[in-house]
Amino acid sequence: MSQVASVGAQGSDGILVVDDIVKRFETAEGPLTAVDHVSLSVKPGEFLAVIGPSGCGKSTLFNIVGGLVDSYEGTVTVAGDRVRGPHPAIGMVFQEESTFPWRSVIDNVAFPLEITGMRKTERLERASHFISLVGLDGFERRYPAELSGGMRQRVSIARTLASEPKILLMDEPFAALDEQTRLLLGDKVLQIQQELQQTTLLITHNITEAVQLADRILVMTYRPGRVKRIVDIDLPRPRSSEIVSSEAFGHYVAQIWGDLREEASRGMRDEETRRKA
Amino acid sequence: MAETGRLSAAPSFNLRADPVLALRVAIIIAVLVLWQAVAASGLLYRDVVPSLFAIGGALVKLLTSPEYYRNLGVTAGEVGAALLIGGLSGLVVGLILGGSRLLARAYEPYLYYLGPTPKIIFFPIMIMWFGVGPGSKVAMGAISCFFPIALSAAAGMRQIEPILIRVGKSFRANTWQMVSKIYLPAMRHPIINGVRLGLGVAIIGTLLAETKLSNQGLGFLIIQAYSLFDMPRMYAMLIALFMIAIAANAVVGWVGNLDRVKAGAS
Ligand SMILES: Nc1ncnc2c1ncn2[C@@H]1O[C@H](COP(=O)(O)OP(=O)(O)OP(=O)(O)O)[C@@H](O)[C@H]1O
Ligand SMILES: [Mg+2]
Repeated sequence: MSQVASVGAQGSDGILVVDDIVKRFETAEGPLTAVDHVSLSVKPGEFLAVIGPSGCGKSTLFNIVGGLVDSYEGTVTVAGDRVRGPHPAIGMVFQEESTFPWRSVIDNVAFPLEITGMRKTERLERASHFISLVGLDGFERRYPAELSGGMRQRVSIARTLASEPKILLMDEPFAALDEQTRLLLGDKVLQIQQELQQTTLLITHNITEAVQLADRILVMTYRPGRVKRIVDIDLPRPRSSEIVSSEAFGHYVAQIWGDLREEASRGMRDEETRRKA
Repeated sequence: MAETGRLSAAPSFNLRADPVLALRVAIIIAVLVLWQAVAASGLLYRDVVPSLFAIGGALVKLLTSPEYYRNLGVTAGEVGAALLIGGLSGLVVGLILGGSRLLARAYEPYLYYLGPTPKIIFFPIMIMWFGVGPGSKVAMGAISCFFPIALSAAAGMRQIEPILIRVGKSFRANTWQMVSKIYLPAMRHPIINGVRLGLGVAIIGTLLAETKLSNQGLGFLIIQAYSLFDMPRMYAMLIALFMIAIAANAVVGWVGNLDRVKAGAS
């Protein structure tokens, strides 16, 4: 576990470098360290997955990297540029339901393009492209209230993809989807990511998803959230969801599950004692 | 979409199928019958409770007189200007209070205290500031609708899902884009509600001012009929006014439902 500390500020070669982040929250039960000295570096075009049990500080880290958190210790840099607010190179897909209920699907997806002032015909064209990419053809004029939770999440993914960010941050983007859609949409995202050479940071607690998509997987500990291990995934590219049935895949899943089980059961014990107290 | 049917329910005139409508019609008929009975019995002064036919005649005369429409136009213009001025300033104040916890804690209590105060007490001041013409009436209407609109806007802004604000920030929307593309549309239901309440009190404020001191407008016509003791005409005017209020409310409600139909009830 201690070898990991050195992984830290390894990267002058990283386009996204997170250096020694600490984030504490004041809660009713006293201060809570959500993220504890986390460092990581993502190389250009790399797909890094961060995996960890529920409540370990993944979303907190995600929001810090996205520039949406004001006070924390440590630094985040994008191509050497210190992040002090939402960075133009970064696009975020949130864990929570985040579509705009007053906008149709196509207007939701075109939102970031509207913000940058793209012409209407052009942005609607681009939005339609990404809508069909996430398999929502024919739903352009529908409103989020008329869609299922999984479809709404696909709208959010399409919206962020439409802004064509150089760095894509995703916080459990597939959590609301069924297994089949998740695998297929994972393929799509991977395809775009490879085409655009997008640097991607995916936050998840799904092991299959992490191994299917990532070049490297960073396993986090349960509270306080630290880096437990980083695993290189040496599976051939281009990859498709069929890989999940291969032997090497199973090997990686077992390895990460070993790490994660320890943390997850620690988390469950911790929550139980808390409930009793 | 089941919701939609209920919200946009067009009035059906099948009384059997719609017990609510049947009850509504029944009470109107009962009141009219009672009224006519009292008028015919001669228990009260004829002039205080004129017969339905007298009122009906007066209503026809009223609705066909150009003088009525000129005064209606005056009042409508005053209410419209009041809603515009009071509504916009209420919206701006509401956005500011909704956006700042500190300012809300400092100033919102004032709005809560002043909101229910009868605004007519300001009328003498408004006359001194804006004269006896339409200006002081507009001011009364504007003061009246400022409060409900400011309070609903402030409450509405605090109810916006924080995630939607984070989405806007993550796409680097500037302040104006945040307001026009996220805050205002996310607040559309509380704002429409505020405008509906505001419209009601703007009409009250304006009419009340007209009845106190004026030489035109519907409030003036009502008081004039009263001072000439022309009761049928006065009742006719009240009926016409009710219908206007109902129509105005229906328009605001329709605008609100229009949006719900497409965007769901969320
Ligand atoms: N605004 C906040 N105030 C206080 N505590 C917070 C706040 N946000 C998060 N926390 C706490 O910080 C810890 C980490 O939360 P976070 O949302 O980052 O977890 P997570 O790893 O994303 O979990 P999940 O997988 O369930 O989404 C949790 O214990 C949470 O209760
Ligand atoms: Mg989370």
